[in-house]
Formats: sequence, C-alpha cells, structure tokens
Amino acid sequence: MKTQQRRGSRERRSRHTIRPLTVVAALAVTGLALAGCTGQGSGGGSDDQPDASGKVTLDFWNGFTGPDGPALEKVIEDFNASQDDVEVKANIMPWDTLYQKVLTSVAGNDGPDIIAMSASRMPQFASQGLFEPLDDYYSDAGNDTEALATAAVDASVFDGVNYGVPVNFTPMMMYYNKDLFTAAGLDPEKPPTTWDELASMVPKLTVDENGDGQPEQFAMALGDHETVPVFASLLWGTGGSIANDDGTKSTLGDPESIEALDFWVSLIRDQKATQIGMSGADADKLFQTQKAAIEIVGPWMTTGFDEAGLNYGLAKPPAGPTDEAVLADVVSMGLPAGTSDAQKEAAYEFFAYWNSVEAQTTWSDGSGFPPNRADVADKVTASPYPAIFGAAEVTDVSKTLLPGVASGGPIMETIFNPSVQKALNGEGSVEDIFTDASAQVQAELDK
Amino acid sequence: MAITATRPTGAGKPTGPGEASTASARRRRPVNTRRAATWLLAITSIAIGLLMLLPIIWMVFTAFKPESDIVSAPPTLWPRELTLEHFVEVWDRIPFARLYVNTIVFAGSVTIISLLFDSMAAYALARLPFKGRAVVMVLILLLLMLPFQVTLIPLYDMLNGLGLTNTLPGLIIPRMTNAFGIFFLTQFFLSLPKDLEEAARVDGASEWRIYWGIIMPLSRPALLTLGLFHFQYNWNDLLWPLVMSSSVETSTLPAGLALFMGQHVVEYGLLMAGSLLAMLPVILFFLLIQRSFVAGIATTGLK
Amino acid sequence: MLPAPVLRERHTMTTTAERPAVKLPPPKRRRPALRVSGRRSLTAWLFLTPTLLILIAFTVYPMVQALYLSFTDYNLIRAAEWVGIDNYTELLSDSAFWNAFGNTVLYAVVVTPVTVVLALAFALMLNQAFHGRAFARTAIFLPFIVSLGIIAIAWAFLLDPNIGLISHWLSLVGIVPEQGWLSDPRYAMAAVMIVGVWKNVGFYMVIYLAGLQSIPVDMYEAARLDGAGVWQRFRNVTLPLLSNQTLLVSVLALIATLQAFDQIYVMTRGGPFFRTETLVMLVYREGFQELRFGYASAISFVLVLFVFILSMVQFGYLRRKQVTY
Repeated sequence: MKTQQRRGSRERRSRHTIRPLTVVAALAVTGLALAGCTGQGSGGGSDDQPDASGKVTLDFWNGFTGPDGPALEKVIEDFNASQDDVEVKANIMPWDTLYQKVLTSVAGNDGPDIIAMSASRMPQFASQGLFEPLDDYYSDAGNDTEALATAAVDASVFDGVNYGVPVNFTPMMMYYNKDLFTAAGLDPEKPPTTWDELASMVPKLTVDENGDGQPEQFAMALGDHETVPVFASLLWGTGGSIANDDGTKSTLGDPESIEALDFWVSLIRDQKATQIGMSGADADKLFQTQKAAIEIVGPWMTTGFDEAGLNYGLAKPPAGPTDEAVLADVVSMGLPAGTSDAQKEAAYEFFAYWNSVEAQTTWSDGSGFPPNRADVADKVTASPYPAIFGAAEVTDVSKTLLPGVASGGPIMETIFNPSVQKALNGEGSVEDIFTDASAQVQAELDK
Repeated sequence: MAITATRPTGAGKPTGPGEASTASARRRRPVNTRRAATWLLAITSIAIGLLMLLPIIWMVFTAFKPESDIVSAPPTLWPRELTLEHFVEVWDRIPFARLYVNTIVFAGSVTIISLLFDSMAAYALARLPFKGRAVVMVLILLLLMLPFQVTLIPLYDMLNGLGLTNTLPGLIIPRMTNAFGIFFLTQFFLSLPKDLEEAARVDGASEWRIYWGIIMPLSRPALLTLGLFHFQYNWNDLLWPLVMSSSVETSTLPAGLALFMGQHVVEYGLLMAGSLLAMLPVILFFLLIQRSFVAGIATTGLK
Repeated sequence: MLPAPVLRERHTMTTTAERPAVKLPPPKRRRPALRVSGRRSLTAWLFLTPTLLILIAFTVYPMVQALYLSFTDYNLIRAAEWVGIDNYTELLSDSAFWNAFGNTVLYAVVVTPVTVVLALAFALMLNQAFHGRAFARTAIFLPFIVSLGIIAIAWAFLLDPNIGLISHWLSLVGIVPEQGWLSDPRYAMAAVMIVGVWKNVGFYMVIYLAGLQSIPVDMYEAARLDGAGVWQRFRNVTLPLLSNQTLLVSVLALIATLQAFDQIYVMTRGGPFFRTETLVMLVYREGFQELRFGYASAISFVLVLFVFILSMVQFGYLRRKQVTY
C-alpha cells in the first residue's frame, strides 16, 4: 500500500534524470585523475636525501605559532643564506597538533627531520624510542655548547642521555597591571615580592562591585589546565614538589607540598584570587581584558599585551615562605630515531648556528625570549624583554618542572591538574585529594 | 500537542500531502484563533531558528572584528569596528587556495565515487537475491557502528606502507565507500516500486541497465541527500587529514585552519574568517539541493 | 545468529535468495530458472565487488589489526609486543575506563531521547505553513553541515565566563555562574550535551519532516471523522506512521552519541577532572597522549561491542512497535 501511494509523484520525476548521472560519472573520473596529479606533485618523492648538488633539506617541526614565529623564520633564513650545504624548512603548527602528529609522522616516511617540543615532554617520547641520542653533539667542542645555560641543556636529559638541543629557555615572569594596582590604591611600582604580600593585596585586587558573588575583576589569572605548569611550580615556595629530583619518589603528599597547596587553594576558594577552571589561554584573555591584575607567564605574551595597550610591569614572581624558585620553560629540538649520518651532520650544523652569538641575538631581538647564552645579553638591543626575562636574579633561581621524568606529561595532565581542579571545586580536602594523587604519581613513576 | 492543531492554514503553498489544506478544519475553527496561532507559531519558530543560528551569527560578526575587539569585555555581538583584514590575511598565513583545491578534490571525489559504489552495493542488497546477503548486511551494520578512531592507526600504518600517506589518493581511497551510505541507499531502494524494473527485466534488460537506467534516476533525491551527507562529512573532517598529512600542502581546510588554534594564542578573527570562507561550498551545496533534500529522505525509513 | 531479526525483510526477495532457485517460477522467463538465479547471484557479487574490496582492505583489515593490537603493547615506534588479555583485565580495574563508560552512558541516555523528541517537535512545528518557515527549517538544519570542530570553538567562546556573549546575556538576567560553564563540574557535561543536541537535531528533524509529508491526508480525515482530538490524532495516526523514521533516527542518534568526541575535545578536553571524558575521548588520550595504542584499542573494542549490543536491543524493541501500513 505504501509504495502505491508514493509511486505517483515519483514516476512523474523519473523520466528526465539520466543526464545528471552521466555528468556525475564523468566528474568521478576527472576527480580521480585530478587527485592522482595533485598527490604526485607534493607527496611523492622523498626530499630528505641530498639532491644532485649534495644539499640536504631538513624539515623542522615546531610550535611557534605566536608572535615568535617570524623571529624563528628569520634565523632559519639567515642560516640558509649562510651556507650552501643545508636547507632548513620550518613547519610551524600548534603544539597540540605537533604532539598529535609526531608519532605517526616519525613512524611514516614523510616525517620531520628536526622536532622541537617542550623539554618536559621529551623524556616521554625518548623513553618510547622516538628520539636519537645527541650526546656526540655535546662532546664536540666545535659546537660551543659550554656557553649555553646549564638548565637549558639539562632539561632534555633522560636516563643520562641528552636527546635535545635547546631552542629557548625562559623563566616565567609576573605581569602586573599597573592601572589596576593604582585603582586598588596600591603602589604601581611595588608588585608583591612574597606570598604574604600577595595575599594581603588579593582582597583589594579582587573586585565584586555588584556583590553577586562573581567578581568582575580578579587579583590573579592562574590557569589550572592546558597551561605552562605555574600552579605546580608554586609548590616549590614551601619546599614542596611533585617528585624528588631523580624522579623516583612522589613527594606530592609530603607536608611541604600540602602546605603550599593549602595556601593557594584557600586563597583562591575563600578570597576568589582567581577565576577557577581556566586554561592557559583563558588566563591570558583574563589579563588581557584587564579583568585580572596579575599573571605569571612567559615572554610570548608581551606582544599581545602591548598591542592591547595594557600598562603593565614585569617582576620576579613572589617568593614562597621558605624557598624562592621560578618556573622555567625550555623548548628543545631533537632528531627522530634512525636519522642518517648525513642528516645528523646537517642538523648539527643548524643546531650550532641556532645557538651561535649571531643567531641568538636575532632570536632574542625578534621574539623577546632571553638568549640561551649569557654572552650575547649586551648585544640584544631591539627588544627590552630579553634582558628582563634573562636577568641573573631570575635565571639563577629558575628551574624546570619534573626534568627527565618519562611520565611527566601524563602526571601533569591526568593526575596533578585534575587534582587541583577537584580541590578548587571543593571536592574533598586538599590533604585527601593530594595524598590520593601522590599514590597515583608514585604508580606512574614506577611504570 | 497543540502544534498539530494549527495544521494547514492555506497561507503558504502546501509542500506535501500531510499539509494539504483541510476544509473541515477551516469550518470548525474561528478565523481569528487560527491567525493568532499561526503568528505565534511563526514567532516561536523564528526565535528558535535565531537561537540555533547564534554560534554561526557570532562567527560571521567575529570574522569582521579586529582581534582586540573580539577579546574585550563586555562582549558585543555586533562589531564595534569593522575590518576585512582577517579575510585578506588568511590567504597569506596558510596556503588557503591550495587547501581549498585539496578539499574540493578530496570531498568532491569521495562524494561522487562513494555515491557510485554505495549505490551499486545497495542495489545488490536491495534488489538482487544472492547467497550471503545476510552476511554482507551484518558486516555493513557492524561497520556502521565502528568508531573511526578504532582503525585510524592500523589504517595509517597500512597506507604508509603503500606510500600513500601525505597524498590526496591516500586520503580519498579508504573513503570511497561508506557503510552508512550503503545502509541508507539499501533502505531507499527497498522502498522503490518493483514493477518498472520487472517489466525491464522481462524485456531482457541487463541488471546494470536496470540499476543505471531505472533505479538511479528514481533515486535522485536520495542520492543528492546522501551526497550532501558525504560531502559535508569529508569537507569538515579534521582528524583524518590531520593525521594523514604531515605537511599543510597536502592537507585540507579544517587541518589548515587548525593552525590558528595555538596553545597560547588562538587567533579568533583569522579562524572565523577562514572557517566562514571554508563553509561556503557546503552551504551552497545544501541550498542547491534543498528542494530534493526532504524528498530524498522521505522514503528512507528503516524497513 | 544475533542480528537475524534485523535482516528479516518483508520483501520476498530475501526469502527466495535463501531457497534453492527452483522455487523461482517466472512463467514468462525465456531461460531456465536455475540459470537466471545463478547469474543474478553472480551479478550481485559483481555489484558488490568495489565496495567489498574497499571495505575489506581499508576497514575490515585495519579493524582486525586493531583487534590484534588490543592484545599487545604498542607505541607505534617499536614492534608490538604480545601481552595476551592483559589490556582487557587492566581495563576492568581501571577507574578511568569506568568513569568514561559512565559518562558515555549518561551522555547517550540524555542526548539521544532529547534530540529525537526535539527533532520530532520541530518537524511537527515546521510542517505547518506559515511565513518564516523556510528560514526556521534552514536555521535548524544548518548546524548539521558546519564543522563541529570549529563551531565548538565558537561555543566555547560564547560560554566564556568573562568575555562570552551567552555568559554576558545570562548575567544581565541575573544568572551568574561561579565559574566558567565549561569548567564547572556541575554544568560542563550539560554544556557539551547541548552542543551535541544542537549539532544533530536538524538532520533528524528533516528525516521526520520527510516522514510527515508521506503520511496520507485521508488518514487524518478519517480520524477526524471518528471524532479523534488533536492528541489522539498525534498518538494514533502520526506517531505510529512515523515509526520507521523513529527507528532510523534513534539508531543513528544512539550510535552518534556513543561516539561523542569532537565538541568535547575542543570545549573541555574531557575536563574538569574527567567529568566529560567519554570513551572515545579516553581512546584518544590513551593512544595519542599516553602512547598506549594497544590499551586504546582494547577500550575501543569494548566500546564497539557495547554499541553493537545496544543497537541490536534498540532495533529489536522499536521494531516490535513498528506498524506497517
């Protein structure tokens, strides 16, 4: 019955419809042909091998999508112009995308030749066999690695073997909005230098004008996920940490760690020192829209904040009651396992150039990052920021988070950050949450 | 449900038998009530429509805002200042034209080839009795339920072994047929009347002639509908081109646009302008086939 | 065999296929029945060849590979190492798995019926004739054809507690969240659910619209003459006659919800503290972040099994309620 009712309308339509389908078939064939052509053009040949002239091309994957990208490309351009043997091509993509693609690409044929990544993620990939050991780079005196900051070099060591050469090394600094300080009746030239000073400023800097319980302005912009691990670095202020120095034992449940966590969780929960649940990007937006007075972040934000016309100052992050330690972020570049000798040699040439006096000056001037070597500090003049971020009083107390711990990434993303979020949401006491988390960290370290 | 009560008003052109104006309803209900109900219905629907469109409207306006205006408080829907810079810059920042061509080739050929292969398979399943039909049907249903993420890595390994990663054929070939498409068309073909083809069969027409000359023309709306389905799915797919192509030149638009979603800096203006330009072909496709669309689905229930 | 009821077609063709060809008695055929049937069977396989080749090579084979990997330890760089059923036993005691399982079920149990009911309501509404109908239809359908990965960024921005438009408008009427909608464990799941409904409701609405338009008018007339009211007509005419569409829509919706990924990945990354982590999210995290592709495969096979069983149950249930006319 059903079909009979419908047939009428369909038959009326059925007579004149063959032509489009022929067209469709024709298109299908052309589509295939087109696809074939395009594919061959770009992906077919491997350009990793030296060509007739003996030139080696290196595909350099990195995540400098921000304002630092052009500075990186400038250095690469200079390098390519400086010699005839090696050509480096930058492939810039968001870090997220890079981590997502790096494994399949290295397993594949068309992968990168040089991979930059956060030094904190390097041990994880190195432990899986992704990276080539680079110890011979450091043992070659010609590469002038002695001049580099030790913390920058050591950040990529896993199990006694160095798998990376630093791209950048930078401490996180405290940005503070001078206008908001003035408005709160605080001296815009006196940012907090200790936790206690900061805590006393929070009630003035967190503003809830209409009294609805949701502040219009926060004292701080502090992200708790997908961010540089500022929160974790706060544990250092009381002598706490996530794990001991050699990464064998969890210290997250230790009294020192709990003390720091208690301090910050109550500051945030009771005083509403910051918006809860922000990612790093959210925190940046909060500070940029002048809805937060203080943010601790790297030099890559200077461009955005300058463009937004913020009147801000930069200072060393406040010191904790017992210790003063500043989080440093290192990006290193490594070579995929199985790199041929010819390519390795070419890559080493680039690494040495990257960390040369000339290149580091260009890099710091263009990006605002402090140089990887102290001896170029006085040559960097175009940007004021390298000097601020690279000031000895800051770099001397800088350290990286969980260096050389293979499970550092998973520990941060699946244990520490979620635990902080739980604590900030009041899902249990700080002590319970982090004692439990500590056991999980230990399990990860034991793997 | 009050909605059914306001059935035909005779105001618009009825588009289906279910809507045909009914005289008895008109007789029983006072004109005023009906008019008020229609107005209420119109207002409610338009409000719902606007609400549904909000993210897309926001996207359009954001594409025309300077970056500093986008990230400022309090937020506004309407731009405080209009700019075209994002639409200009997007062409410089990523190989936009190249990505566009890639995406057209990828989504276009997948759609066309998949329609051909899906319909051939569906014809066999719906019209040709053969041993093993049940097995094939179960296989198709099983594949319909398989999350794409499951096979992603082994599939990548295999294509890599064949040297197809980083190429458009590598993107296209695994998508040349699709379990949902086969399922959808099988259901549609099952609902088609059989007398035409029986007559043709009696006249000695080959199965290919019946498939191509009778069934396919009859199925035009369903094919267009499924075509839209395939086209938008592949046009918008992110994970597949992202994993398959290591260079942006062999990638597609969504993977290229993902480059604006940095961890520290999301460039909303560029992202929205690029996405807007990227959306146009799909919307165009939809508007072109809109008429056939409802008809295409009309007879495709589950049998 | 498990899916037998699914495949039992009302068409006579299927039954003839399973019987010996002698049963085919077309009086007018010029050739012997046996040969005709054999030839048509061959033709059928010919028609299926391209599809089967592609499916077997690019879906079935990788699926078998993935199944094999689920019994190994594999990181993509080193060769897979056989570990037997270790991945599956680990999974049973993995709280992350059970959390994701619970979230997936919650998401599916809420989003599937809400989407289906809303789709039906919209279809009933937009099956009426009034000015602005074309606009509303297009507006409701449009989300279905835009990229969820990108539009989810727009959603996340709109919900931003400080500079998001929706948050701003809600605050004007006094609804102020303590924190961002997406980072609040009480609302994050609801937010990604809303986006899930928003994305697909238009497609299902169109399926229902199509169904409504194929309901013969005289059936309503007959019901009306019998004195059936609006509700009765809906209950006794519309709903039963839409049962085909309801079956299609709910099966598709269930499969889609059990595989929810895109907007969750963009909007919450499974957070806050895994409150929105679904099974596919977990598969992604175990694979691409923790580099445990063997374990990730094991999780995905449990998901496949789960989807399969649920779909079969649903098929069976809705099928029994189906009415033919």
